Amino acid sequence: MYNVFFSCLHFFIFLLSNIFFFRLVSKLHPFPGMKHLDVAGGTGDVAFRIIDTINSVSRTAIQDGLEDELRNETRVYVCDINPNMLNVGKKRAVERGLGEDPSIICVEGNAETLSFEDGSMDGYTIAFGIRNVTHIDKALAEAYRVLKRGGRFLCLELSHVDTPIFKELYDYYSFSVIPAIGELVAGDRASYQYLVESIRRFPSQGMFASMIAEAGFQKVEYENLVGGVVAIHSGLKF
Amino acid sequence: MYRSVVKCLFVLPSYINNTNRHFVFSPIITSNYSHFSTDSNTQPLSPPNPNNYQLHPEIKASSSSSSSSSSSSSSSSTAEGAASPHYETHSSKEEQRQRVEYQDEQACVLRASLHHVVRLGWTEAAMIKGARDVRVSPSIIGSFPRKEAALVEFFMDDCLQRLIDIIDSEELGNLIPSERISKLVQIRLEMQAPYISKWPQALSIQSQPLNITTSFKQRAMLVDEIWHAVGDQASDIDWYLKRTILGGIYSASEVYMLTDNSPDFRDTWAFLDRRVKDAFDLGKTLQEAKYLAEAVGAGMGNSVQGFMRRVFQG
Repeated sequence: MYNVFFSCLHFFIFLLSNIFFFRLVSKLHPFPGMKHLDVAGGTGDVAFRIIDTINSVSRTAIQDGLEDELRNETRVYVCDINPNMLNVGKKRAVERGLGEDPSIICVEGNAETLSFEDGSMDGYTIAFGIRNVTHIDKALAEAYRVLKRGGRFLCLELSHVDTPIFKELYDYYSFSVIPAIGELVAGDRASYQYLVESIRRFPSQGMFASMIAEAGFQKVEYENLVGGVVAIHSGLKF
Repeated sequence: MYRSVVKCLFVLPSYINNTNRHFVFSPIITSNYSHFSTDSNTQPLSPPNPNNYQLHPEIKASSSSSSSSSSSSSSSSTAEGAASPHYETHSSKEEQRQRVEYQDEQACVLRASLHHVVRLGWTEAAMIKGARDVRVSPSIIGSFPRKEAALVEFFMDDCLQRLIDIIDSEELGNLIPSERISKLVQIRLEMQAPYISKWPQALSIQSQPLNITTSFKQRAMLVDEIWHAVGDQASDIDWYLKRTILGGIYSASEVYMLTDNSPDFRDTWAFLDRRVKDAFDLGKTLQEAKYLAEAVGAGMGNSVQGFMRRVFQG
């Protein structure tokens, strides 16, 4: 009975996270020849989706020689502070047949001090990672530094729910159900409690948007998914 | 002034329409917050200058100093990009190099993209090439809510602006109204002539459900502008009627132009002239019909009145 429940939960979470990543990548609107940096995305979720999108776009677009060259120039850099996550990402790349493809490059690094040059990236994404960064403003400043003119910053993160009834439900779910599941599944109530609290501690959508604007980005917007459980913030650099 | 009032009413919603997210078609997305940026020192958080989106970057007569300096800086884009200042240290009025406004950059990219439209159509490929021309990352295309529609709408606004400039400068006083209308519509349609091979695509983009409200507004503004230039002094019902009729004539001529192979689109202008004359004749006919109806009504009314009086008194 528990197995059924947890497999349903797992499926549900899998579905939801697919939708979140899909929405993030479609907002990004990748193009062939893009240089993209995905930070804290060691497992490669965002990176693989970007590569798939670019490949499908190039196939349907008008084929002239330039397009193919551009497609080969596409580079998605996956940066993570944790080498284990990067290894998982590399393994998944091999499974998808991208092992020898130069498009995906895994780099170990810290979001607060990136090893990339100024103005070298067309896009920067950070999915479910900025919550774990100690100095968010430093990470934002680094993001601003490595982006080219016209480059976009996109951040997918668990965020605050404000709609009245849903908020109560979500709070109940977060504080009562999640730690209980954590205890049942992993025997670790405390870290799930910490997880839920860290989500609450993270700045609200508006606050975070103003932090992004302070780092220098323009056209800072955010989009709530599932009523605010997850939010995608975006900004433009000029 | 009437024209500027209409412009404010139409431009502001169309601008906001363009920058708000499209959250109607995804069931999960429930809310959104429109942008929140520290754009320029002279402008507070909201709303941004509506003129920025509509006007030609170089013709901004009424815009703020930031726009004028940014249009000069965007022409030397590489130098600007390397030396973009950090924003906390700005003293607002004395700072020479203001921040480059993103709306200006978007307009620049779109303008550069127009050069590629003839070959690549109203597509993202043209926009990507345009972005590369202006030395801006093509990622900026992701920030346009409706991608190709943004390019088409930019072109329509640009043409409208050019038409307004032409109206202001040219002397139309010696033509009769129907000829004036013909000439103005002809001038406007000629602006589309270089793109005529790809114009069917633009029309189909404009007629998509997401884009139709903006394209309708743009056409309404165009038609209003033309009537205004002709010296329209209409009252209520006539106002709508005239604009609807001209809108119909304009669209019909536009579509006729798509299949016109005559040199310099001579056939289209002949078609246009005939339609305008017909409309004016119809207008005169309708006016006469109205007088006739009034006269008949008055006559009938008298006889009915007389009849009723006799019935109730007699």
